[in-house]
This record gives sequence, C-alpha cells and structure tokens, in this order.
Amino acid sequence: MSSRCRASFTLLALTALALGACNREERHSRAKPMGETVPAGVSPDTIWPGGTVAQTLDPRAKIYDNNAPAISQGQQLFSQMNCSGCHSHGGGGMGPALIDDEWRYGGRIDQIATSIAEGRPNGMPSWRSKLTQDQIWQLAAYVRSMSGQPSKDAVSSRAESMSNTAPQTLTPREPAHTSDTAEQ
Amino acid sequence: MSVQHYQSIFGNASIEARQFNTLFVIFLAVCAVMYAAVIAFMLVALARRRRGGRANVMEDGRHHESDPALRTGLIGWSAVVATGLVALAIASFVADRSMASTAARERLSLTVTANQGWWDVQYIASDNSKMIRTANEIHLPVGVPVRIYLKSNDVIHSFWVPSLAGKQDLIPGRENDITIVPRKVGLYRGQCAEFCGTQHAKMALVVQVEPYSDFIKWWERQLQPAAAPATPLAKAGYDFVTSRNCGACHAIAGTPASGTVGPDLTHFASRRTIAAGSMPMGEGNLYGWIADPQSIKPGTKMPTIGLEPNELHSVVAYLETLK
Amino acid sequence: MNLCAAAAALTACHPSQPKQQFGSATVYGSAPAGDHAVAPPAASPADDGNWVMPSKDYAATRFSGLNQVTPANVSKLALSFTFSTATTHGYEAPPLVVNGTMYLITPFPNYLYALDLTKPGAPTKWVFKPKPLAASQGVACCDTVNRGAVYDAGKIFFNTLDGQTIAVDANSGQQVWRTQLGEIQKGETITMAPLVAGGKVLVGNSGGEMGVRGWIAALDEGSGKLAWRAYNTGPDKDVLISARFKPFYASDRGKDLGVKTWPPEAWKIGGGTVWGWLSYDPETKLIYYGVGNPGPWNPDQRPGDNKWTTGVFARDVNNGEAVWFYQTTPHDLFDHDDINEIILADIPWKGQRRPVLFRPARAGFFYVHDRRTGQVLSAAPYGYVNGYKGVDLKTGMIIPNHDKDPKVGRVVRDICPAAPGLKDWNPSAFSPVTGLVYIPHNNLCMDFGAMRANYISGTPYVGADVKMYAGPGGNRGAFTAWDPIHQRKVWEIPEDLPLWSPALVTAGGVVFYGTMDGWFKAVDARTGKQLWRFKAGSGIIGQPISYRGPDGRQYIAFVAGVGGWAGAVVSAKMDTRDPTGALGFANAVKDLPMKTTAGGMLYVFTLPR
Repeated sequence: MSSRCRASFTLLALTALALGACNREERHSRAKPMGETVPAGVSPDTIWPGGTVAQTLDPRAKIYDNNAPAISQGQQLFSQMNCSGCHSHGGGGMGPALIDDEWRYGGRIDQIATSIAEGRPNGMPSWRSKLTQDQIWQLAAYVRSMSGQPSKDAVSSRAESMSNTAPQTLTPREPAHTSDTAEQ
Repeated sequence: MSVQHYQSIFGNASIEARQFNTLFVIFLAVCAVMYAAVIAFMLVALARRRRGGRANVMEDGRHHESDPALRTGLIGWSAVVATGLVALAIASFVADRSMASTAARERLSLTVTANQGWWDVQYIASDNSKMIRTANEIHLPVGVPVRIYLKSNDVIHSFWVPSLAGKQDLIPGRENDITIVPRKVGLYRGQCAEFCGTQHAKMALVVQVEPYSDFIKWWERQLQPAAAPATPLAKAGYDFVTSRNCGACHAIAGTPASGTVGPDLTHFASRRTIAAGSMPMGEGNLYGWIADPQSIKPGTKMPTIGLEPNELHSVVAYLETLK
Repeated sequence: MNLCAAAAALTACHPSQPKQQFGSATVYGSAPAGDHAVAPPAASPADDGNWVMPSKDYAATRFSGLNQVTPANVSKLALSFTFSTATTHGYEAPPLVVNGTMYLITPFPNYLYALDLTKPGAPTKWVFKPKPLAASQGVACCDTVNRGAVYDAGKIFFNTLDGQTIAVDANSGQQVWRTQLGEIQKGETITMAPLVAGGKVLVGNSGGEMGVRGWIAALDEGSGKLAWRAYNTGPDKDVLISARFKPFYASDRGKDLGVKTWPPEAWKIGGGTVWGWLSYDPETKLIYYGVGNPGPWNPDQRPGDNKWTTGVFARDVNNGEAVWFYQTTPHDLFDHDDINEIILADIPWKGQRRPVLFRPARAGFFYVHDRRTGQVLSAAPYGYVNGYKGVDLKTGMIIPNHDKDPKVGRVVRDICPAAPGLKDWNPSAFSPVTGLVYIPHNNLCMDFGAMRANYISGTPYVGADVKMYAGPGGNRGAFTAWDPIHQRKVWEIPEDLPLWSPALVTAGGVVFYGTMDGWFKAVDARTGKQLWRFKAGSGIIGQPISYRGPDGRQYIAFVAGVGGWAGAVVSAKMDTRDPTGALGFANAVKDLPMKTTAGGMLYVFTLPR
C-alpha cells in the first residue's frame, strides 16, 4: 500500500471508530423537565381486535438504550431508590427476577419505563411523580442491561455490589424462548 | 450580607497550619541561604575565569597535590550542607510529630463522607441521640482538638481546607482521618482536591471556627427538628416536597423525609452556600437552583424537575423556613 | 498410578467437609431421667383432641397428648384425605381442628376454608375471602405467607397481608368484625398468627426490612376495637413503660431508652416488629413475645443499643404495661430477630421448681429465663456460632466477636449463624414426657457487605448485600433434640436443606417434621431414628398437627407448600444466578428448584383400622 493510501485508510478507520462511539457515550445532563410523561408502553403480546397495529418505538429509546452514561446513572439509581431491595441484583425476591428473559409486562425499554412509572398490580410501586422521566428512562436502560440486552461496550464491567459473580450488566443474553415479539 | 471566604495555605488558622508554615519558613530560609551561596559561588567562578589566571593544571596530565585551601573549602562546604540537611530533618521531624500528637488529644470528632458533588457531615457524640447531620458546612470550636474521619461513598475525593490543614484523601472502602486544632475564629473555605467527576470544581465547603459557646448553641440548634411551616405558601411547599418525594434523597428531621442519598436539609436555610459552595445562600439563588440545578451544576445528581411557577414559589418559601 | 487412584488421592486430601449422612440421627446422649422439665398446667391443659391455636397451647409446647401413633406403628400411617388450597406461595400455618371442623388459612389472598371432618373426604363447609389489597404483596419481605389462624369462643381470628385483623364466626363463616391495623403505604404488612388471651386478640406487625416502626396491639375479642398498642421503639409512653417495668439487667434500665439509644429520629423507622410467636401465662396474666430486628440492616446508620429491638418483652395482657425486658442482641448486627417461639416450662433448679421460658434464639443460643423476672439462667449454643463468643450470665449481655462486625464498603465473610439465624421463625416442640425440646433449624453462614441504606417509605430499607451458604459439616439444616436442663444435644439429624418446617411431638413418642424438598418424616422422640417418611408434592414449611377425628382415631395433618424466606427461590420464581437474591438465601438453596416445586396441598394421615 502506498503511504497516501495507508494514511487515508487510517483516517477512515479512526473516523469510523469515533463516530461509532458517539451515541454510546453522549451524556444528556440537561434533559427537558418533566413536561411529557412516560408513554403507556404496549406489549405486542396482546390481541388487537380487528387487526394488528403498527408498533413504533418512542424516539427517546434511542437516547437511552445502549447509552453508557444513562446505564451507569441507572445503576446508581437502582440501588439508591431501593429497587435492589425488592429485585436484589436482578435475581428477584419480593419482586420478579430481572436478569432472565421473562417479562410480565414487556421487556422493551419503553415498556419497562412504563412499568416503573405506572407501578403494576401485585406490588410494583408507581414512581410517576417521584422520579423525573429522565431518571425513569435511565433506570429502564439499566434494567435492560441486567438481562444482557444492550451491547457489551455500553455497560459497566464493574459490579458495584459484592462481586461473587460476573456483574449483572454482563449477564449473557438468553436466546429468546418467548413468543413475545418485543424480545426477539 | 456578603460572605467572606478565606482560602490560603498561609492562613495559619490552626495549630497544624501554623506548624506547617513554620516548617515552610525554615525550609525557605535554609534553602534560600544555600541557593544564595550556590549562586554566589557560581558568580565568583565566572568572574575569576574572566580575569584569566593560572593555566588549567589538569591539561598536562600529571598528578598534582590537591590544593589545601580547596580541600578545606570543600570540607567546610560539605559540613554546611550537612548541617543544613540535619536542620531540615530535625525541623521536619519535630513538626510532623507535633502535628501527629494532636490526634491523641482529640475532644471532638466528626465524620465527613464525600459524595460526588457534596460533603456529608456527621458529628459524633457519645450519646447517640445527640448526633447531628449537616452538609457542606462544618462548625468547629476554637482551640479544641478535633478529629475528622474521612470516608467516601463513591470515588476518591480529597479534603482540603488550606487555612486549616493539608490535603487528605477520602477513599471508598477506607477510613482516613485528619486532626486539627483551630486557633483563629473566622470563616474558611475548603474544596475537593481530587478529580471526582464533572462537578469536581463545584465541590466546596465552608468551615466556621467560632468560640466554644457559640459552637454549643449551633449544635443545639442543629438538634432541633424542622419547624412546621406557618404560612399557607410554606405549607403548600411542604405538601409539594412530601408528595413529590424530595425525601427519596433528602432528609428533613421532623418530617417523613429521611433520604440519605442527598444532603440533609433540616437547617438548610441557615447555611452559607447552596450546592456545596456553588452559590451563596440567598433567595434568588435558591429559586435558580430549585428551578434548574442542571444548568448551574451540569451533571449533578439532583435532577431538573419541571415546576410550575406557583410550585416553585411554595417550595422556596418552605425551604427558607428551614433555618 | 492410574488416573482414578490419583483423583481419589486428591479428593482425600481436599480439606472439605466430612461425608454427611443426611437424614440419619447421631445420638449424643440420652433423654434426662428422673426429674425433667414439664409444661406448666395452667398454660398447657390436657389434650382434648383439638388444635385451636398454632402453638397448641399458651405454653407453646406443640405437643399432642394423643398416643395412638407410636414408634411401633407409625410406619403404617396411610393417607386419609387431601385438599388443595389453590395457592402456590409458602404455607406456614397449621390446620386448626375444632370439634369436627378443620380450618385452613392460606397465604395471600388469605382465604379461610372450613372443612367438615365428620363427612368422608372432608368436604368444604364454607370459604371466607377477605380480599386484601394486591399491592400488599409488594411490601412483604419474605413471601406472602400467613402463620395461622386462632379459634376461641366460637370465632376464628386471623390477619391479612394488608394489615387487617378479622374475626369470622366458626360455624357460619360470616364476618363478625374487621379492624385495619397496619398501613401498606408505610411498608407494613401482617403475617403472624394472632394470640387470643384474656379476652384480647394480640396482633403484631411485620416490615422490619421496610423501615417500619414495630408494634403489638390488643383488640377486644368481642368488638375488634383497639384496647391498647405498644410500640417497640420510641419514648416510654409509646412503649407502655411505667413504674411497673422492672428489667432484670442494668443495661435495660433508664428513661426513654427507646429514643436515647438511637441517633435522632432513627427510632421512627427503626423496625422492632412483632411477626413471630406470642406465649401467655394464665396464672400471672403476662404475655411473652420477641421483637424483630432494628432497621436498617447496616448497623453503622444506627449506632447505639437500639432499644427495644431484638429482645423479649413480658407485658400485662390487660393494659399492655411492660413488666420486664431482655435484649438478646443490643445493636444487632446480623438481622437476628428475636421473634422465635417462647416455650413456658417448669424445671427443677437447684432443688426447687422454677418457672422458666425456653427460647432457641436466632442468635444461636438456647436461652432459659426465669419467666417472672427475665433473668437468664443459661444460654448455651445449640449449633455452630462464631458471630458471638457467648453470653455473660452476670451482666446478661451477649459477648460480640468484633472480627465479624459488618463494615460499610467491606465484605465480612464467614459469619455464623447467617441472617436467618441458627433457627428462624419455625417453632420447635417440647415434650413434657421426654423433657426434650425438638428444634428444627439451620446450619448456615454468610458473607455480609454493608452499604448505606436510603429510606423511602414503602420500599425496602436494608443496606446490605448478603450471600449465604452451608455451615461447617456441609449440611444446611439440622434437627436437634435438646436437653434444656443439662444444655446439651441428645440426638441430631443433619439435613441437606435448611429446615424451615415447625416440629410436632406426640405423647406416643413420635416427632414429626418436614423438609424443604417435601419429605414428611416421623422419627423416634428418644433416639431420633427415622421411622417413616412420605414425599409430599411440595416442600414443607407448615406446622404439622395431630388431632382426634370424629371417629376417635388420631390423625396427623400438614399442608405442603414451599416458600417463605428460604423457599422464595421456588415460590417467587427467582433467578438463582444472582447469589444475593432473597436477601442472600438464593445462594444457599440454588438447588431447590430442582428438588421441589410450588404448591399448597393438605395431607391428612391416620393409621388403618
């Protein structure tokens, strides 16, 4: 390869690398205050009388899903808001397990955000006006990371709790055995 | 009322700081003398060479007797250097031992736990029901040895109040401590001295050194729970604070709010600064902080909540009652 | 040397636990001959064939006076009938039997069934559905269990998970009264079985892991109105401490200790719940009960002795006044709630008869107290304990082992007994015939990592990451027959899984208990020899009972439904890859989902004609 060719190739590679990390590392600290509400996320695992409805993902999902600062902030909130008191570090207890591939109310990020905001029957508290919608989405991003859904480079490789196992953010994603299309 | 912050390593506001500065002066003196001597010799050497003088005796390769004058001079100079070093060593040792001996005489202790962006201060008392908790502000009685235990809840920080003492790190999983005897009444500013996150630069604290009786009055004031709000606006603020769960992070004694994640707000309005020294305490600043903390201190853990104007008025009115 | 021999040599060198024969008894001695402990007659009347309260009698003996079933014939026990409770959460309650009707109270949603024992197959007479709030399931720390109902004077009394006490007519199944005592918004639930004594229904709350303030309340038996409520933290007027209060040890004397031994305001969210067992002495009209753990688990947030948590109160049943108190673990470090059963007994002591209490405590010591004053007569460990060095009988204080102190930001390893203690809530049984106490318990140790807990009402307030595992010997549970006077084991059966089921002992000389993987066992009361066993459909954590049926035969009954704190791995369908799940229990019983499944089935056995 000529040196000019090598130089431009290197430049191209570096640019690609830099751009690839853009969304993952972008930090949104000035999130808009809670004017909008967390949407009522719908599970595809339901009957649509008369015909199915097209599902579009909330545009905010792109901002939080696979975003390293959001997942990391969600990890802090998870223990500070006592989510770990009921869900442990994903294994469950008073609440269901979050590291597996079974989701009672949907496992897409907007569905998880709705579960946190609305609360759910049988005991999930409602955080709607207790956390900002930014914080709720951050938590949803972290909860998704516990079942191995985001890419490995977006999640923290360090556990903040007793590390007798691999950190829950590095839990391998179980292959989808479920019929819920949100999981596939 | 303007707030005077005094933040200087030559502040001499505590016995340790004064000892340190004495040591500094000794070092400065000895080293200055040495420096002056070295410069003097160098100038002399330059001047003698220019005047010409004897041929360089080394060039003809023959061994010569060393010059007695030169030998004496060399021995003398080594003695001077050695004396200087011994003086410095002794001074350093004495100062260090003296600073360390304060630890044995402690009569007051408190724990400072650093979080990203703020300082959690808890005073220890032998009667546990008299312990007090505050944030970003320390009061100390003058002349009383105090030991400050240093812990961290997240990353490494460093506790530095230059007028009172040197830096000491706060390391997660470890308890450090520092002992001070403040000797001058006054107000001193400290800050975090180890990069700890996006808001490292805005993590300051205020130390007030005051006479012992004032300190006890302050302690007793801090033991009181928050007064119930009197005006309708403050009551509305209290309702807002309770229903929107500010207590998830903040504690206000005497109310259901008992969060430990953020600073204790029981006597928030009596502090001198907001948000760990980011702004002086004042109504306008309080409005700005509650309305949008992220614009003042981007990346801080307190989120920006969308407040309606009347909600903002009521919350600020309530917080101002927390004296 | 071939590979097999090399491997064998390696395993022989491996410093692991000795080979355990789970299920077979080791005999250490014999039952005391001559004068031994007996139950006080006022608190433990002769058996009339019924089972009207979970503890069988006010002395909490769990002893059946029926003797048709003996070690000789117990292996012939046959299934008489079964009943599905239609619930799959942990079943901790005993069936009640009153004059030909059997009553069953289920975990959430707390259905009360009445079965007619006079007809073949025991058909259902009625069902009472209290309809507790579903959200209460979100604030129940350790499965949505119910520890039992109580029968008295024609009514059945029980508690619901969302904090109500309900009285139902025993014949018709109609509600007589319903009183709301707990608030789920604060994190309170009620799981305990009430005690009916002196015309009062005694109820305590749960929620020590939720930052709740613990209390015990007395409701009037006829109307359900609140007669008195005593808190277990806070100023003396809330704790109902008056001039009558005479604690035996100096460390429990002082004014407003329920405030002074806490940092400011911490006692308001300090725990001290009453979710376990109450006993009653009809002669002195005193109730005895234990108090749960202080909150949060992280001890650094609550320096001080944290009165009046993890201790035992004696109170007057009429007005709740405290008479004495003993604190088992001041400034509790390991969640060693003190709510275990309190057995009343009269023992020979230095030539006299002394009225005492037996308490196999969570902290690992078998306490014998004088029940008039609270004085500790003896406290010997009934299993392996390294978290404490012993109990100083002069001061009454437990001697801590400071090597095991939890520290924020650090993990302290190998603390025994683990948080569920050497024995948790599941009660032991006392036989006045053999004089032995039959203790089904754990053998678990833990790693404990403390961290700052944040209080948000309605959410957990714990501040600890825990991982539990088997203690020395490799067995996670053990069934011990204990001589309370000579303070020693008589025989012991190591079990693979922790024993979370209560015990039953009969006058016929047979002891019954169940294992978490569903084996219901009958062993000889004197030697521990296993006589008979039956594999139930689910793990057994509920009290077995024995009653005389309408046909005059002796029946043995229990409900199998695994769950509770130990069985949450199964009943809550947890993922065992997270060892800190269920407050650390997930690591200890990772294998449980392979060994049993959830259920709720009543089994009733009798001897064939």
